[in-house]
Amino acid sequence: MNFDVNEKESALVARLKKVIDQDAENKLKGLRTGDPLECLNLFMDYLGRLAETGYLEPGVEDGKHSTTLVAAQEALATMSPSLFLAIESSTRLFGRLVSAYGTPEQKEEILPLLLQGRYIGCVGLTEGGMSIETQPFDTTAASSGNDFIVTGSKDHVINAPMADRIAVITRADENILVTLARTESSGITVGERYTGIGYEGTPVASVHLDRVTVAAQEVMGPFDPPDILGDLRRWEDQVLTSASLGLMNRSFQAALDHARKHRRGGKPIIAYQEVGFKLAEMLTIRQTAQLLAYRAAWMDESGDRERDILVSCAKTFCAESAEQVASQALQVLGANGLAKGNPAEESYGSAKYLQVAGTSSEISRVNIGDRILERA
Amino acid sequence: MEFSFTPEQLMFKEQLIRFARKEIVPRVSEHDLQSKFDFDSFRKLGEFGVLGLHFPEELGGSGADVVTTVLAGEALGEAGVDAGLTLAYGAHTFLCADTILCHGSEEQKRKYIPKLASGEWIGCMGLTEPGAGSDVASLSTRARKVGDTYILNGSKMFITNGSIADVAVIYAKTDKDLKHAGISAFIVEKGTPGFSAGRDLIKMGVRTSHTSELVFEDCEIPAQNLIGQEGAGFLMAMQTVEWDRSALLAPFVGGMTYVLHKCARYAKERHQFGRPIAHFQATKHKLADIKIFIEAARSLCYRIAWCKDQGRPLNHLEAAVAKLFMGDWSLKPANDAMLLHGGYGYCHEYEVERYFRDSRLAPIGGGTSDIQKKIISKLM
Repeated sequence: MNFDVNEKESALVARLKKVIDQDAENKLKGLRTGDPLECLNLFMDYLGRLAETGYLEPGVEDGKHSTTLVAAQEALATMSPSLFLAIESSTRLFGRLVSAYGTPEQKEEILPLLLQGRYIGCVGLTEGGMSIETQPFDTTAASSGNDFIVTGSKDHVINAPMADRIAVITRADENILVTLARTESSGITVGERYTGIGYEGTPVASVHLDRVTVAAQEVMGPFDPPDILGDLRRWEDQVLTSASLGLMNRSFQAALDHARKHRRGGKPIIAYQEVGFKLAEMLTIRQTAQLLAYRAAWMDESGDRERDILVSCAKTFCAESAEQVASQALQVLGANGLAKGNPAEESYGSAKYLQVAGTSSEISRVNIGDRILERA
Repeated sequence: MEFSFTPEQLMFKEQLIRFARKEIVPRVSEHDLQSKFDFDSFRKLGEFGVLGLHFPEELGGSGADVVTTVLAGEALGEAGVDAGLTLAYGAHTFLCADTILCHGSEEQKRKYIPKLASGEWIGCMGLTEPGAGSDVASLSTRARKVGDTYILNGSKMFITNGSIADVAVIYAKTDKDLKHAGISAFIVEKGTPGFSAGRDLIKMGVRTSHTSELVFEDCEIPAQNLIGQEGAGFLMAMQTVEWDRSALLAPFVGGMTYVLHKCARYAKERHQFGRPIAHFQATKHKLADIKIFIEAARSLCYRIAWCKDQGRPLNHLEAAVAKLFMGDWSLKPANDAMLLHGGYGYCHEYEVERYFRDSRLAPIGGGTSDIQKKIISKLM
């Protein structure tokens, strides 16, 4: 047992803080309705910087989470939530998928570029009305000579507007095939970039695939659905857990700074119990969430048999806590918190996304309940 | 960071769970119903080595580290030992005996620790008063030095083990003009003239622990019963907080694990609308919420324990966070467990009723949730 942050964890975080500027989040948000090329260039710039720190590597090739990775993820998710989500979707989702399920040739072609920060990937998983728990995908990959023909639509694909490749999760009979489609391929249409609450600096769009031809050597599988979907779900949930820590840190800090500086009745408002006690609750939730997230990562790293249930517990608790902390932060901040661009206002919207993305809180609770019942 | 237990620690936990299930748990329900302290079980805890787990071997203990000691508390809860008995154990071992062990003279240690480690004697700690709870500086119990004796006058309130204790660590003001620096700690033995316990209080939960008032009326004790130096009492009391936020909270975490198993089994057996209620999503959600609480709370206890093992001074903010979370966030899962059992959950036979009552102490005992918030907001 050791609750201290170790040297490896703190060294990576220190390197990160040197290369990511405090204004990263605002820069990314500023480009959401602007020139897509400018947006891509900015991401590539950050990707390159992150590659130099060693941030992109942990957990990609071995598929495992670790406390070192969570420490770094928490730091990046605090500095820029939008950058974090985009980078993680490319490395810890797309990268892990290729690493765990790709052929040697696919890995050789993609992973070095990805880890050097010269390549962006995305994963097309979600479909309209589809539940990965109970229903098959509508998107199909049909064999045609040496190729596969992919047809269907994917929603909410993070990085779709700027990715080099999209790993499209498709159905082939009872199995899953993953087609590594190049985004410039004929028949692929990337929709308009989504605008909505939360993660405004992360490029997200739908992808429509109309009889897209993908060479057989660029297809992974077939795989048994529970295996590959289980891995994808866990990786996504791990990323979203760290994302939750970042949002909590941002909104808590904004509220704390305000409560120390803002004065009423001749004293800082933190001196009033109605404010100080709220901050105490926020800090308590935040510390508890951090410990749970780190322990879940440690369980993955150490191969603990309780790993899956801990990952689900951590994702559910952290995502919901992120909303709770942001909500209380807004209350402490008063009108200041409601202003566009305030970290609490941003975090409040983004936290909602975290509860529905990956394994939703509802499905996650059902999964946890099922595992408990299996053992009873 | 890493969160592992050693194989020895895990083996000890398993042994203790098996022992408690066989020797203690079968009588829990009956004792709770009668609000009766289980002396046999308490002494068995002594025989198994739990009561003096972290005491030195030469004083009858096992020399265990703090993490192992906290693990023992979790194991007792997980086995199904009620919060009344674990609270009695906590007050005895950590609030009474540990204070003598850490701050007492060699003579005091040799005299009291072996008997407390074995369970031959029961200990308690008297700090809270009718008019002084969290505001320790306002204690009104006085200790006046007269020759080679101290004369104690005053009363203590809500004292766990008060009416059954053979020895008590009592905090009293030796200098009424000073606040915290005027507080000293004394050992008072049962039967000392002028020392008496009031009636046991009828409590909502933790009923197998006896809670009473202690009264001191010109109670004369030898001067050598002073623990450490005059005026050092407040710091001694504060040092027990480390145990309070780890070893005393751990049985709540373990107890919730026990409740979770009970709920899962009940959900599989109970049929409604032609199928087990385990099939309903709302049931699974309740089970999940209990599990999430357990996993979230666990590391908070062990962080305090691990830091104590490293010899670090108590981090008051982390201690308050652990207590606040355990206190305020444990109410919902305890409530969920009862609701999952429907009407049966409201009845004594199904144990979750007892857990619901017992959990109500968590945000009150050992410093209320509001006091924890006050501490945290000051330290931020």
